[in-house]
Amino acid sequence: MHIPDGFLDAWICVVTYILAIAYGIIAYKYFARKATVEHISLIANLAAVIFVAQMLNWPLPGGTSLHFVGGALAGIILGPFLGFIVLSLVLFVQCIVFHDGGITTLGANILNMAIVDVLVGYFIYIMIVGKKSSGPINERKAFIGSFLGGWFGITLAGIAAGIELGLSVQFGYGLGIALPVMAYSHFILGVIEGIITGLVIVYLVRRGYKLPIEEEVMNQ
Amino acid sequence: MRFFHARRTLYLIVGLLIISPIFGVILADMVGYHEPLDVAAEKLGLEELEFNWTPLYDYSVPGLPAEVGYIVAGIIGILVIWGICYLVAKLMEKRESGA
Repeated sequence: MHIPDGFLDAWICVVTYILAIAYGIIAYKYFARKATVEHISLIANLAAVIFVAQMLNWPLPGGTSLHFVGGALAGIILGPFLGFIVLSLVLFVQCIVFHDGGITTLGANILNMAIVDVLVGYFIYIMIVGKKSSGPINERKAFIGSFLGGWFGITLAGIAAGIELGLSVQFGYGLGIALPVMAYSHFILGVIEGIITGLVIVYLVRRGYKLPIEEEVMNQ
Repeated sequence: MRFFHARRTLYLIVGLLIISPIFGVILADMVGYHEPLDVAAEKLGLEELEFNWTPLYDYSVPGLPAEVGYIVAGIIGILVIWGICYLVAKLMEKRESGA
């Protein structure tokens, strides 16, 4: 899913950077207003776990593989803004330290994985579980919400990548091929992402967390 | 700054790190690591741009075997992430105590 340098046309790099920066400014404002040191601890830990989880590539029959992305997971746990910060931090370090994902395409990668994946995961989960749930969260709802969030988060992130690639002349395939191929493959492989997301969220719900942890971090 | 559920999170991270070369190096070599995007790029003969700025390219550490380098690269990545967060937390504590 990490688009390398040289795959996207310059104008797409510029547009995706602008979108990523615009969302980043909103997220930063939210962060500056609401976040506490405790939130930073959460961000640091979640980012570290997602970073390592992304290093595990699951080989699949047919010579293809996929790794966990974790955008939906971060969105469900920390909400659309802090979740964005978690994924952006991971993508930034991957790009700068390991050249995993290009520097010209960092905007596009942030748009796909830190914005689209995070937002889709968050909104699907909220739609199914409800935002102001007083009392205990229904475990089955939490699983279904996070499973679908993880699954469709990846699928839509793949679609976003397919559009960016398809619109790029530099990437030889047009929209007619790039979009369905990216959409289909991520739709299929995204089931695994959904299952992992669902299991982690149910684990957290069982431990008594109210997700997303936005306004206040529970006192431990 | 305090690490949230530090011990359990740490176990998870260490566990994932230890098994990471199996998935990131060994199995990847066996099946040929190919994301859908890589497959398309290969068919088109697309090359990633040549320029590179990091000695840790693709989670390898110069002079170390791939499996060990992968783990060391993972540790470096985590330390960079934690380092950035630690700095932000320090800045925030400073600002709060100053205000």
